[in-house]
Amino acid sequence: HSLEYRKKHVAIGKHNTSYGSGLGDAPFVDSKNSAMDLKKWKNQFQLNFQQTKDPNTLVFDMIGIDAALANAIRRIVIADVPTVAIHRCYILNNTSVMQDEVLAHRLGLLPLCFNPDLFEFPPDETVVTMIDSIPEPEENLNLVFRLQVTCERDSSGKLQNQTVYAKHLKWVPIGDQKKRFKDNPPKFVYDKIIITKLGIGQTIDLTVHCAKGIGRDHAKWSPVATATYRILPSILFKKPLTQTQAKELVDICPLKVFEIEEGVVVAKNPRKCTVCRECIRKDGWDDLIALGRVRDHFIFSIESTGSIPPTQIFLTALEILQNKIDRLSNNLAAET
Amino acid sequence: MNAPERTQAFVLDEDSGEVKIVYSADTKVANAGTFRLNKEDHTVGNLLRMQLLRDPNVRFAGYYHPHPLVYFLDMKIQTNNSTVAPVEVLSSAIEDLANETDHLITQFQDAMESWKRENDHAEMATQF
Repeated sequence: HSLEYRKKHVAIGKHNTSYGSGLGDAPFVDSKNSAMDLKKWKNQFQLNFQQTKDPNTLVFDMIGIDAALANAIRRIVIADVPTVAIHRCYILNNTSVMQDEVLAHRLGLLPLCFNPDLFEFPPDETVVTMIDSIPEPEENLNLVFRLQVTCERDSSGKLQNQTVYAKHLKWVPIGDQKKRFKDNPPKFVYDKIIITKLGIGQTIDLTVHCAKGIGRDHAKWSPVATATYRILPSILFKKPLTQTQAKELVDICPLKVFEIEEGVVVAKNPRKCTVCRECIRKDGWDDLIALGRVRDHFIFSIESTGSIPPTQIFLTALEILQNKIDRLSNNLAAET
Repeated sequence: MNAPERTQAFVLDEDSGEVKIVYSADTKVANAGTFRLNKEDHTVGNLLRMQLLRDPNVRFAGYYHPHPLVYFLDMKIQTNNSTVAPVEVLSSAIEDLANETDHLITQFQDAMESWKRENDHAEMATQF
């Protein structure tokens, strides 16, 4: 593989990968120039949105950044973007089959549709042991929901409330929250999430306080189902293929990456490629096809749980990255 | 049971005098030093290391995160000559990263605007 190829791609062979990015693009940077020619980078950096079927998933391409930056953003999206979720459960009565702690755990994981910027982080709390009464919630820190469900027979003899859904949790506004959130009351993203099931006569009566937190503390506060990126595969032909080889190649690819255009086989849909390496598995095909990944082309996929829109998640993640870097810069200046 | 509090992973313990960055010059190697970054992990560590490696003044740059439950990084930097100190090199790397992130934010917002214009039915959830 030529140096030009190595600069731009990570090569993937039949049994191994070569020219991986442990050092990133550092070996290929022309060390006569300045370390980071920002203007040149800005000109070749691209960010393109892609179509998705799900409005809560954002898929976009970032071309021209480094693997470390892509990973840093991914880590921040998963662990450092704050959300508001159910934090403390004060259970007055629970005669259902589900234990208190299991119920509380499930409640914490329910995604809450609420803008976390409206709240502040709660102060550090000491470990709570025994309490006499539910602590006072604060209007800048907590949301309060109430869950009161009993499974009983109604007047016509039918069983009601056999299943407890997320919609059974009712918001209780405290302080000036009723006025503040009049247009946009806090609610759960999916009303139909099953919390637990009740038998006849069983009842659940609890109050929950919601608080702001980050995914690093507990996964319930992570705003994404997951955030992933993959690197665009690149398929280049080292030698021209014969007609039979071309037909074979088009058939062998399970994802229909190749097509024959004007008698020549081309890699029409490299985005669909999952690098299964079927196309280079046969003897000798390794010399025909150069399979690899384009080093700096990242296809991000941010799947929000619905609590925060995915574009907002990404922007918040970038702000958090800025804050982290600024904090280091200030502390470094103070240290020296 | 023995695990430390989760919040200790990202909150600086200022009461016991913990500072974000502590520098100690290397006694045996010339033009080298170690920066201890408290309450940081691979998110920032790898990013800084990659940026440092692009700098032609840097001869050696590496970091380690000794244990997942111990919340600091050690970053070792060695420069090519005594005219450039490790501190300078680190601060210029941080500055470059800050510029890159700023540019990313503006680019993303521009891309969002042009996407909204091209697809005026909001397929993408952008509002609460």
